Amino acid sequence: MNAVEWYFVLAALLFCIGAYGVLARRNLIIVVMSLELMLNAVNLALVAVANFVPAAAGRGTLFVLFVITIAAAEVTVGLAIIIANYRNRRTVQADEYHDMKG
Amino acid sequence: MPGGDFHPVYFSIVAAWILVAGIGVVASRSVVRAAVSMVLCFLGVAFAFALLNSALLAIVQILIYVGAISVVIIFGIMLTETPAGPRQQFFNRQSVIAAPLVVATAVLVAVILVSGDLLTAGETAVNPGLRQLSSLLFNRYVLPFELVSLVLLAAMIGAIVLARREDRQ
Repeated sequence: MNAVEWYFVLAALLFCIGAYGVLARRNLIIVVMSLELMLNAVNLALVAVANFVPAAAGRGTLFVLFVITIAAAEVTVGLAIIIANYRNRRTVQADEYHDMKG
Repeated sequence: MPGGDFHPVYFSIVAAWILVAGIGVVASRSVVRAAVSMVLCFLGVAFAFALLNSALLAIVQILIYVGAISVVIIFGIMLTETPAGPRQQFFNRQSVIAAPLVVATAVLVAVILVSGDLLTAGETAVNPGLRQLSSLLFNRYVLPFELVSLVLLAAMIGAIVLARREDRQ
């Protein structure tokens, strides 16, 4: 196996660990953390490509910089929404937000 | 670490670190413990970036993820509270379906990525250097750079507006 492929496998595993957290956890803050794991996995794959594939040399790194910035914005807005919801409903458990139908 | 080529020993240590910490985030019952695992996982990813010859990204990762994002999430934990209880309270009903689905996705993604022909990928690293990176960022990618600053501003204002306590009287 190629060097870059080992990093791909690691990134795929980390991504799926994060995906499981997003799908299976009830606490919304842990869901946000798992989302961050998924973003980190993608960053890892991008940096591996930037390091080992000559055609992607500088661009991979720049793309990761942009992803990190957007991830920071996403976390702030996401947590603000969670806290605003917590203030109204006194819970951060995803299953208990069941009065949003219609 | 000179070069930044593939080191199997370092890679396996870092990979094990990242995966164990990642599982810690998803599996731990306490939210605070999950947050600590998340910080460790971010640190592991920073080590992986350093192994991949991008010192810049390793530093950025530690500054933004280990520093800023973790603090924001810990503040989020502080401002909310989660009840303690049995396992059913931590995992929702679809967790039983999610587990095989996620394992299948991992296998599928890994197989696809590995079987794809990245013929140009070599064992040796290509290092663009900080000077080249910054000239690329501020010439060719200057528009996305400016747009990202707008996004950050919008996110900041949005977070303040959303999380502000409303005193109507």
